[in-house]
Amino acid sequence: MNDAAITIRNLVFNYGKLKVIDDVSMEIPAGTSFGLLGPNGSGKTTLIRLLVGLLRPAAGDIRCQGKAPSPATARLIGYMPQLPSLYTELSVEQNIDFFARIYGLKDQKNRKQRVAEVIKLVDLWPKRQVQVMKLSGGMKQRVSLGCAIVHQPPLIFLDEPTVGLDPELRVHFWDYFENLTQSGSTLVVSSHTMDDAAHCRKLAFLRQGKVIAIGSPEELRAATGTAGSTLEDAFLYFIRLREVKQNDA
Amino acid sequence: MTRSSLTIANRIINQLVRDRRTIALLVVAPLLVASIVGVSIPERGMLDYIAPAILAMLILFFGFLLTGINFLRERSQGTLERLMASPVSRLDIVAGYIGGFLIFALLQTMIIFFYMAYVLDINFRGDLWQILVFQVVIGIGAVCLGTFISMFARSEFQITQFIPIIILPQVFLCGLLWPVEQMPDYLQWVSKFLPLTYAVSGLRDIMLGGQSLLDVGFDLGILVGFAVVMSVVASLTLKRGA
Repeated sequence: MNDAAITIRNLVFNYGKLKVIDDVSMEIPAGTSFGLLGPNGSGKTTLIRLLVGLLRPAAGDIRCQGKAPSPATARLIGYMPQLPSLYTELSVEQNIDFFARIYGLKDQKNRKQRVAEVIKLVDLWPKRQVQVMKLSGGMKQRVSLGCAIVHQPPLIFLDEPTVGLDPELRVHFWDYFENLTQSGSTLVVSSHTMDDAAHCRKLAFLRQGKVIAIGSPEELRAATGTAGSTLEDAFLYFIRLREVKQNDA
Repeated sequence: MTRSSLTIANRIINQLVRDRRTIALLVVAPLLVASIVGVSIPERGMLDYIAPAILAMLILFFGFLLTGINFLRERSQGTLERLMASPVSRLDIVAGYIGGFLIFALLQTMIIFFYMAYVLDINFRGDLWQILVFQVVIGIGAVCLGTFISMFARSEFQITQFIPIIILPQVFLCGLLWPVEQMPDYLQWVSKFLPLTYAVSGLRDIMLGGQSLLDVGFDLGILVGFAVVMSVVASLTLKRGA
């Protein structure tokens, strides 16, 4: 039995003549936090946009819970884009309630209850009536996260969710994420910081649109063969390894 | 309208209502322009004659501007993309935006008309309700046009550049400044493809000629068709990842 929440096979995506995703294949297990790690321009955001169905691949296949991304599978997905992408004139509550409605939470009583739960979960209850434009960057990120999870999706895609957050808030965010995976959700988190990577149960290192390594943080560190290696060391190790292979070829 | 469209329309209304400066500008701008028109044309007969054309032009202009810029802002802030990742269909998204913006476009339309009719005291012969219905149809077309054109702009600067491309030629060729029949043949031919031509023609016939909506059915039909085509094309142009 295949317990992969997401399966990607030979995925290719181009922006004009530029190959942004180059023959990427991977399986993301259900109920885990999976990190897409790479520098800016490595294809993390493009890969997430492909996974949520915002872009169509030039080649290859994506299966989210066994189905190709489409408006019909969008209900299964929670998406937190890189920018907060919120309605700044509206309050915290109005933003989260809007996405609850859009994702089909029709029953008013249940919706109200769920919106309140989410606002408490992201620690914004005292600010629920405040317009988003009056919140700090970190608070906006929390509202954005609330909008992504309000419909309790089994698949959650978070594009650089911790960018611009202070260290304390970053820890809080990873606590939320841990709670989400414990409740059975699959998280795909893109990041370019090794600090985020260390929190993921499994990682894919991306560089120039290609996956250069996949494994748990421990496996990736151990692959360097050097005791005390960091994930940064591991990333550089796999870059060099790939260059050597390319030169040999 | 579907439940999703209504949710989107409701959200847009809530958003704009909470933005008090924008609401103030939405009210003041048409009043200012209508006042300038009234003061700058002291000859009463000329003002009566030109008023329907000015009304049609202002409805098109304000509707286009309001929708074009707001829809573009949704895209540049990433909120449109977030909606595109949701289960809502493209047609529902466009219908929701058009519905939400239409309320404000109609508010501006009513402000301009009632100000011109009862403060500037222009004379009109047609039934008030028939004049208002015709203006609503122009407003719907303007909102659909703004939504469609905003698909091709990447910044607020670009959307304002569409004004001289999309709005101004219509102003010159719709019969507002000079009768269409007295223009060169090729310009008369071009004017047949411009919605403002039918808006001006129909509104003049109702307001000055005292005709009914049935009498101006051809102009009305063209405007309704234009709105439908613009909204359908806008939803088709609304690509995922746009």
